[in-house]
Amino acid sequence: MRLLVVEDDRDLNRQLVKAFEQVGYAVDEAFDGEEGEFLGETEPYDAVVLDIGLPGKDGVAVLEAWRKAGRKMPVLVLTARDRWSEKVQAFDAGADDYVTKPFHLEEVLARLRALVRRASGHASSDLVCGPVRIDTRTSRVSVNDVTIKLTSLEYRLISYLMHHAGRVVSRTELVEHLYDQDFDRDSNTIEVFVGRLRKKLGVDAIRTIRGLGYVLEPPGNVVTPSASAG
Amino acid sequence: MARRFSIATRLFVSAAVWSIAILVVAGFVLSTIQRRVTERGFDERLQVYVQTMAANIAVRNENNVIDPFGLGDPRFSLPLSGWYWQVTRSDVDPPDITASISLFGGRLPRIEEVTTTANGKDPSEGYVTGPDERRLRMLERSLEMPDGAKYLVQIAANSEEIETNVESFRWAMTVSFALLALALGVTTAFQVRFGLLPLARLSNAIGAIRRGAADRIDGRYPDDLAPLASEVNLLIDANREILERARTQVGNLAHALKTPLSVLVNEAANDDTSLAGKVREQTTLMRDQVNWYLDRARAAARAGSIGIVSDVEPVIRGLERAFLKIYADKALAFEIAVPEDLKFRGERQDLEEMIGNLMDNAAKWADRAVRVSGRLMTEETQRVLIEIEIDDDGPGLPPETRADVIKRGRRLDESKPGSGLGLSIVADLASLYGGSLALDVAEIGGLRVRLRLPGA
Repeated sequence: MRLLVVEDDRDLNRQLVKAFEQVGYAVDEAFDGEEGEFLGETEPYDAVVLDIGLPGKDGVAVLEAWRKAGRKMPVLVLTARDRWSEKVQAFDAGADDYVTKPFHLEEVLARLRALVRRASGHASSDLVCGPVRIDTRTSRVSVNDVTIKLTSLEYRLISYLMHHAGRVVSRTELVEHLYDQDFDRDSNTIEVFVGRLRKKLGVDAIRTIRGLGYVLEPPGNVVTPSASAG
Repeated sequence: MARRFSIATRLFVSAAVWSIAILVVAGFVLSTIQRRVTERGFDERLQVYVQTMAANIAVRNENNVIDPFGLGDPRFSLPLSGWYWQVTRSDVDPPDITASISLFGGRLPRIEEVTTTANGKDPSEGYVTGPDERRLRMLERSLEMPDGAKYLVQIAANSEEIETNVESFRWAMTVSFALLALALGVTTAFQVRFGLLPLARLSNAIGAIRRGAADRIDGRYPDDLAPLASEVNLLIDANREILERARTQVGNLAHALKTPLSVLVNEAANDDTSLAGKVREQTTLMRDQVNWYLDRARAAARAGSIGIVSDVEPVIRGLERAFLKIYADKALAFEIAVPEDLKFRGERQDLEEMIGNLMDNAAKWADRAVRVSGRLMTEETQRVLIEIEIDDDGPGLPPETRADVIKRGRRLDESKPGSGLGLSIVADLASLYGGSLALDVAEIGGLRVRLRLPGA
């Protein structure tokens, strides 16, 4: 899961990025409207946290530009101006939810989780695919009710696949959604991560589609946990 | 008291009073002149008889008999015809009086009301009461013959002719002057109306601004009113600008304070030191205070705005769109029944604030549905009121709590920002606009909030 944080206050931006990274997101940051607009238009984010009061181009204008360019990622708006007229304006520009400043980071995290979940068509905060279960509120991954310990990148991988369960996800897409923009990307490393993840899960949930990518599916009837290695 | 009369009334009354006074004086003067003219004409006719009589006396025969038919007018021979003559020789004792047959043995009195004092030669004129108790116009003339004989010649005629003449003139004049007064009144009224028309137009224009039907005074005004109209426009602009600036400042202040507050809150959130605890405690306090005062500052900035009218329906539709996203997980059904032409007399932002808070509250507690209905109240009050009801199908409030919320008003949710009923600022705003807020039971089961506001 990859996020964009557009917030001009450096301290607040740092806090947000840190908090998101702690719960397993890859995060890019922007400090003004132009930079934010550019990143949002060119990079595939799973969600955006956008401050409305930005220097240069303000948040509503940035949001409108994204929607006009056909960018559909969920956007959580941060606003200090907590009047309904401003909120309605933000929603009409294409916002999906808002948080009023000053806020607690937990609230932003919760709202963002819900947005990402809804955007991929899930109603519950628990994502389930056969024996695999992710509680997006706690970032806990379990297989047959046994908690699995994952690294941040592995969590991002399983979380992204879970959010898009049943759909073939290409390696390029995974690279784009797992790493932030400063990361030195190499799609070959994805294979390594998928391998590691399969081992940790112990169930054959991630299927490789040759030439296309990966798809997360409930393990077939005949498949046993021990047969999933490889 | 006089201060209360309108300018139109003042102009009209003063013009009418002066016109009538002038007409009355003119009437008197004209009538007097006319009487004089009529009298003079009548006197000239009598004068002919006086001169004839004087000639008769001068050529009187030896017996001193004055020719009784010498005047040649048969009216002097008809008894009590109203036409009389009398010649008195005063230098003998007793005076020798000769009179017309018409006097029928009676005598003419001397002039009581002498209008022209004769110098002895000229006849004196005046009115006397004749033998038949009728008013007579009489000319008198004293003559002194070369032989020393002194005569007083009196010619009298019924003054009815003068009176009739004067009377008919007076009547004709009164009628025409009355018509003239009427015409003057009508033209004055028209003049006043026409003259004051721009003033009435200006007053209407200002009324329209107050009602919110217009936002400034448009149109051309006469040179003496144009400066007033443009001053009023400037005043309105200044008022708007001040409000706009105040609002912007409040918004900027909100932004300037709240972002650093966010940073402080978050920085202290995951820290167990006593300093972090203090920061948490104080930032919470600061946040509440900032919110409270910002709300009030906004409310104060609103109070002065004049002549603004906002459509209700688009505001509610906009909020519906927002709430559908905010409460996407609850899959609420919003039922909106608001007439498209419903108008609120006030700022759109304030309406959004009030209805936004109430709808947010309803959506928070609702199970499946939120209903918003609006209507124009056709009350007996002079003010136009609109009523907006926001219902939810949530748990609602028991009657005693409802009463409590209304009674304690704003205190209920000031202690817990965001977690209360959100009614504080709504109640404040509504009362600023002279509206009201009431709680009831909704037909669909939960709470009904009834907001009444000035309409247009």
